[in-house]
Amino acid sequence: MILSDRIESMLEKVQKAPRYTGGEMNTSIKAWDEAPLHFVFCFPDTYEVGMSHLGMKILTGLINEQEWSLCERCFMPWVDMIALMKENKVPLFSLESRRPLKDFDIVGFTLMYEMSYSNVLAMLDMGGIPVERRDRGEQDPIVVAGGGCASNPEPISDFIDAFMIGAGEEVMLEVNRVVLERKEKGWSREACLKKLAQLEGVYVPSLYDAEYNQDGTLKDFRPNCPEAPARVRKRFVDNLDKAFFPSKVAVPYTEVVFDRITLEIMRGCTRGCRFCQAGMLYRPVRERSLETLVRQAETLVDATGYEEISLSSLSSGDYSCLPELIRELMRRMKDRRVSISLPSLRIDSVLKESLEETQQVKKSSLTFAPEAGTQRLRDVINKGVTEEDLIEKARDAFQGGWSSIKLYFMDGLPTETTEDLDGIADLARKVVAEYFKVPKGDRAKGLRVTVSCSTFVPKPHTPFQWAAQDTIPVINEKQEHLREVLKIKGVTFNWHAPHLSYLEACFSRGDRRIGRVLKRAWERGCMLDGWNDQFKFDVWMAAFDDCGLDPAFYANRVRRKEELLPWDFLDCGITKEFLWREKEKSDRAEVTRDCRQGCNGCGIQRFAGLCAYADPKRRNAPSPSLLPYVPEGDEC
Amino acid sequence: MRMLGVFQKSERVRHIGHLDIQRAVQRGLRRSGLPVAYSNGFNPHILVTFASALSTGACGRREIMDVKMAEEVSAEVFLNRMNLAMPPEMQLSEARAVDDRHPALMASLRAGMYEMILRDKDQAQKLISSIEPMMGREEIRVPRKTKSGIREVDMKPLIFSLRGEESTLFATLMLTERESCKPAMILDGLKKEAGIPEEEEIRTLIVRTQLLGEDLEGNLKPLETL
Ligand code: SF4
Repeated sequence: MILSDRIESMLEKVQKAPRYTGGEMNTSIKAWDEAPLHFVFCFPDTYEVGMSHLGMKILTGLINEQEWSLCERCFMPWVDMIALMKENKVPLFSLESRRPLKDFDIVGFTLMYEMSYSNVLAMLDMGGIPVERRDRGEQDPIVVAGGGCASNPEPISDFIDAFMIGAGEEVMLEVNRVVLERKEKGWSREACLKKLAQLEGVYVPSLYDAEYNQDGTLKDFRPNCPEAPARVRKRFVDNLDKAFFPSKVAVPYTEVVFDRITLEIMRGCTRGCRFCQAGMLYRPVRERSLETLVRQAETLVDATGYEEISLSSLSSGDYSCLPELIRELMRRMKDRRVSISLPSLRIDSVLKESLEETQQVKKSSLTFAPEAGTQRLRDVINKGVTEEDLIEKARDAFQGGWSSIKLYFMDGLPTETTEDLDGIADLARKVVAEYFKVPKGDRAKGLRVTVSCSTFVPKPHTPFQWAAQDTIPVINEKQEHLREVLKIKGVTFNWHAPHLSYLEACFSRGDRRIGRVLKRAWERGCMLDGWNDQFKFDVWMAAFDDCGLDPAFYANRVRRKEELLPWDFLDCGITKEFLWREKEKSDRAEVTRDCRQGCNGCGIQRFAGLCAYADPKRRNAPSPSLLPYVPEGDEC
Repeated sequence: MRMLGVFQKSERVRHIGHLDIQRAVQRGLRRSGLPVAYSNGFNPHILVTFASALSTGACGRREIMDVKMAEEVSAEVFLNRMNLAMPPEMQLSEARAVDDRHPALMASLRAGMYEMILRDKDQAQKLISSIEPMMGREEIRVPRKTKSGIREVDMKPLIFSLRGEESTLFATLMLTERESCKPAMILDGLKKEAGIPEEEEIRTLIVRTQLLGEDLEGNLKPLETL
């Protein structure tokens, strides 16, 4: 191990040293010289968050499985470690061989949420790599990034050499091959990046120029060399049946956020909620077959020894054979003492049967997400859920022995009024009433209804990409109102101050120029923004000031139909026309049917055979398998 | 039947705390597919105990797990399967099958053997030359951290042996359920004896090399062999 003694002395002082020491089960990798290409997978958040992310485990597994490459890991250190590293002049190092990031050929970041961007800058800098891509020289690694946020790469494009848009695996290996070729043939950095730009699904920001109008909106965005395509098409999945799935995934020693097996049962969602970026981006819906899932579950249980499997997807209740799957998993896992849990359930799925079954295994709290308090607003956002659905499911749950229910809502949705906020309290009250309707002897003790409200952030590639976010004072007022009306016995109300959502709104729909704000905020000491005690809102605002940019331009402005949006050059499958159509329907509170009832022409139908529901012959046969690399998003 | 497994906690994972080591062993046992016994109840766990908790920051060369088996297996099978299921940092070196009536390890534990590798040569020399004068004292009073706070104890009767060589201290220290002497106490005592200021940091790597129990004649013997 490189740098060992200095690192050892820091580890003796730091809190939670195991964040930095590695050596977990299933993480031993080849020696440095055994593979010509050295990749370091960087997760721009702490170890506990990163090690909960299945996508990272899959990608590191994939790269390590190639004879010609090895993949080490690196996470964002905590502030105490950062201070020690500075004091001891130790650069940010990989967990496995303890080499500084700059020693690798390729440094890959996964971008899961906007508020981790400052960590990307911090990690590059601590790892000995020039933060801005234009300052990097021939000796520096190629810095790449992928993940959900790559669907609007512009805000962080000053710092990343190449983005991977879409499904990560295939394109990951292609990118690695190009970088290996660079190493072997001694290509210049520029030549290498031009090669990368020719791969489908790769965006190389240095090869594009942006021009702005007087009012700050985008005037023009185009490639500055023939190698770069004018539109970058997201990488779709070619061969669903050959999905890579690691037979071994790392098992941390210390507790991490999700310390269990996550089994992704399907990808995508047919419901078309208008606020949901994942639902728009991960089209079309694809299910994994029961056989594959059972096999993967067994492989993972064998390899990890975990005690719990949780099923995940955007809408698990829509999985076509959910009861069978749960029954089969339970049958196989019973003797091995592995419990099965559904992290959340959509309230309009036929779930009674599976509800009864999961309860024998584990009675955790149930999660429902009506998102909005009135039918009108639910129609605006196309959340196809009715009050009757919710009440019926709550009744089933209480009768089935649950006593704890979580309800998720959003505040600040487009067109929201006080009536909609009052509707949230109404729903909560009705859920509480259902509990008391169950005879005392038959219901579980300790009613707990938790209402959680998050502030709506308009996202690119959704019908709300043109919408304004409420200003902070308005959100504060709305939350105050909610606190009042939710003073209900048996109900707990959770909310977050809107500041983080406000910044998230700036960065999720930001353009290239906002990268300057990011750099400035980082220079002024912002990092680990996702952590309440580290988040410095005032400093961020000062950084906007320093750069002469107005956050309200990004967060609180309604965009016109004709406006060129910073992410328009990406073809993510769904078309801008479809999104605008959906936006107009939303203005009229008009719903759009579930794709299972018929294709809505989102744009995916342009690619023959990709979407099962767009093809009448295949209507009832969703493709049986899917690639496992997705960000582990929350269910809606 | 029970299985005693002798395992290491390597230098790399020395900062893992005892609870996490316990969980790593539990998960290793689950991965091994060995027929282990589970507790009853809603959240069943594997019936495994440890002879002694090793502190965070210390390595262990021969720590001992005590696993209740649901079916008979040979020590060899246990050893092989566990070594496939445990990370390189926590491999087993030996296993021994014992009867259910075999006394609990914790109850038979008497002492631990330690190596304290001193990182600084100067400090090492000072500390080692303080061993004799310190041991010559009638009482060696050092602060001892307990759950209820810090209290002074006389550690002299708790030290079975203490010597130094090059930059390593070798100590055999009392370790029972009721009373024990921690390596840190030895370092504190020697530091005071050597006149090293309290705030000066002594960097050491602490390795517990062996756990000891008492045989019928009252001699200290490796715990796993009793
Ligand atoms: S192609 Fe049609 S059916 Fe498929 S996701 Fe798009 S709208 Fe739905």
